[in-house]
Amino acid sequence: MASRLSSRTARRRTAAVVAGLSSTALVLTACSGGESEGEGGGSDDPIVVGISLPLTGDFSEPGKGVQRGYEAWAQFVNEDGGLLGRDVELKILDDQSNADRVVQDYEALIAQDEVDLVFGPFSTRLVVPSARVADEYGMLFVEPAGAANEVFEQGFENLFYAAPAIADDHYNYLADHILDMPEGERPQTVAVASMDDPFAQGTAYGLRDKLADGGLEIVVDEVYPPNTTDFSSIAAKIDDSDADMVIGGTQYQDAVNLIVALQQLDYQPDLAAFSTAPTNPEFSAAIGSETEGILSPTGYTETASWPSNVDFVERYTELHGNPPGEDEANAYTTGQVVAAAVEAAGCAEQGECQQELISWLRTNEVETVVGPLTWDETGKPQGAHLIQQYVDGEIQIVLPQDAMEADFVYPKPAW
Amino acid sequence: MTGTLLFQSLVLGVLLGGLYALLAAGLTLYFGVMRVVMIAHSAFLILAAYLAWFFNQQTGMDPLLSLVVTVPLFFLVGVGMQRLLITRLRPATLTMMSVLLTFAVALFIEGMIGFVWSGTQRRIQLPYSSASVEFFGAHIAVVKLVAFALAALSLALLYLIMKHSRFGQALRATIQHSEAAQLVGIKTDRVAGFGFGLGLATAAIGGTALSLDATIYPSLHWHWIGPLMAIIVVGGLGSIPGAAIAAMVLGIGQSLLQVPLGTTWAQTIFYVALFVTLMLRPQGFFGGRLAQRF
Repeated sequence: MASRLSSRTARRRTAAVVAGLSSTALVLTACSGGESEGEGGGSDDPIVVGISLPLTGDFSEPGKGVQRGYEAWAQFVNEDGGLLGRDVELKILDDQSNADRVVQDYEALIAQDEVDLVFGPFSTRLVVPSARVADEYGMLFVEPAGAANEVFEQGFENLFYAAPAIADDHYNYLADHILDMPEGERPQTVAVASMDDPFAQGTAYGLRDKLADGGLEIVVDEVYPPNTTDFSSIAAKIDDSDADMVIGGTQYQDAVNLIVALQQLDYQPDLAAFSTAPTNPEFSAAIGSETEGILSPTGYTETASWPSNVDFVERYTELHGNPPGEDEANAYTTGQVVAAAVEAAGCAEQGECQQELISWLRTNEVETVVGPLTWDETGKPQGAHLIQQYVDGEIQIVLPQDAMEADFVYPKPAW
Repeated sequence: MTGTLLFQSLVLGVLLGGLYALLAAGLTLYFGVMRVVMIAHSAFLILAAYLAWFFNQQTGMDPLLSLVVTVPLFFLVGVGMQRLLITRLRPATLTMMSVLLTFAVALFIEGMIGFVWSGTQRRIQLPYSSASVEFFGAHIAVVKLVAFALAALSLALLYLIMKHSRFGQALRATIQHSEAAQLVGIKTDRVAGFGFGLGLATAAIGGTALSLDATIYPSLHWHWIGPLMAIIVVGGLGSIPGAAIAAMVLGIGQSLLQVPLGTTWAQTIFYVALFVTLMLRPQGFFGGRLAQRF
């Protein structure tokens, strides 16, 4: 009895200590909050950039890539003397791939933490709600991932997409190339499977509609929810149609699972195009040697010779031991775009400054790691994506002609 | 739609149903033995898949060999979890509180997987990953066949243990009437602990089977727990054969429905079945009342 009693007292004591500690922590944070408010806008304060990213949940894979890109950008800027002579500090929250969380996060970052700038999150589904929050507060919103057409149909006046092209235009070079082939040689039938996601569908349907307009027949057109993990039935449908070409509107695991399921059914198309996944370094590790001939659009390649890219790839590789991927590059581009506006406007804080940044980006071109970028009035970038293909075991640019590293392989070898 | 596609879908459905059956068997066992709703079952499943991947990554050997370690390990973890956590819950609110407790365990496992192996999506690359055998015009992937065989074997073993071993008899007695079981000298506490361990051991096998043909990531378990919960309710909570039959029927149903309805609607079969069961036969279609007829 005595021991039980003493253990209970001990437990109570622990609880008191914990409560004490947490209230101290509360007071401390309150104090530090007040302090930064007092000095806010001082020229030596770091410029705080608020960001919410999916670090856990369905989009954690690309989310972490974007995080690496943002962090690399902040580090390199600080090494080079900062922005407007001030250090840059990132405040990154985890939205768990959840659209409700992302709204809360940006509200908190802008209203409570009073960050000076915001950068966008990952994935179209999260970009639209968060851009709306930023719009309400009049904040410039440059984002690395909201590539679907609907992002630009919302009437946002503060949004800029930091990549060469929107989702629907990703495959433009491939569509042109296929339609330029002689009638007898080009694929006649097309199977499409896409995740129920604005970005994934944007890429796949952009290509599908251009090919359909050009006279190709769409024989399978499947949509699957983002939580789908078993692709054997979709693969069975595609296999049954025996389409000449397969288009996957994919993110990552869905592309890998679908490709393996198609291989298991011994379906052999002449062309296979999947968005996003094939440009991921994990992709070859997952599929093995059977990637040959798989196509994918990319907004970025580490070998591009844009001046800032050479520098970026070199420093990033030194930092991480491997070159940056597309997610990292898009995040870095976002940083570059905002930085260019900040340097030009000479300010980085909430309030009128944000409108100056927005107006400057409307009318100016920015040199980035994905090439020079300009935007129309909706924030849509004015370019197209490069088309890459696995040739000799490596993913290489095959289209357009003037950027190509290897010849376009058609029909694709068996997988 | 052609006959080949229909047959192919049927074959895929049987293979999928087999895996569901094994996974649901463990889940229904916890409920049968202890009235515990084990939300963390699928989290352990993914953990086992990660261990299989890690084993393959480190040694280069076939992931199936990791079973030698994971099955006993999960059994012990299961016994420990039952003895140290579940028994601390008050019997009166056990079922409800077990939801909260195992939900926390699931979050913990998901977080630890992400912490240790990061959120990067993993897949085991096997020489036979994309190999398949032809079966009356349908292609059966070798990995799916192996997973199915593993599931069938484990279910058969589970059945033998439950039906023909003294432990199985004690376990069934505990499921049916734990006080009466105590009266005839069964140490129901220990039996319940072993029962929980047995359930978790099926998660080890299921996870390894899953790892052969799936891209895995820490939050994947949430996609599994919903259908599995639906399966054990349809099959009758606590009934292993009920769970197995329901799993097979729903697995095949899902696969066949994908042909006309597409993936989005085919997924709802689990929940439609759940609603129909609760409305028409709340005790489940295939099992008796709480598995009294195992």
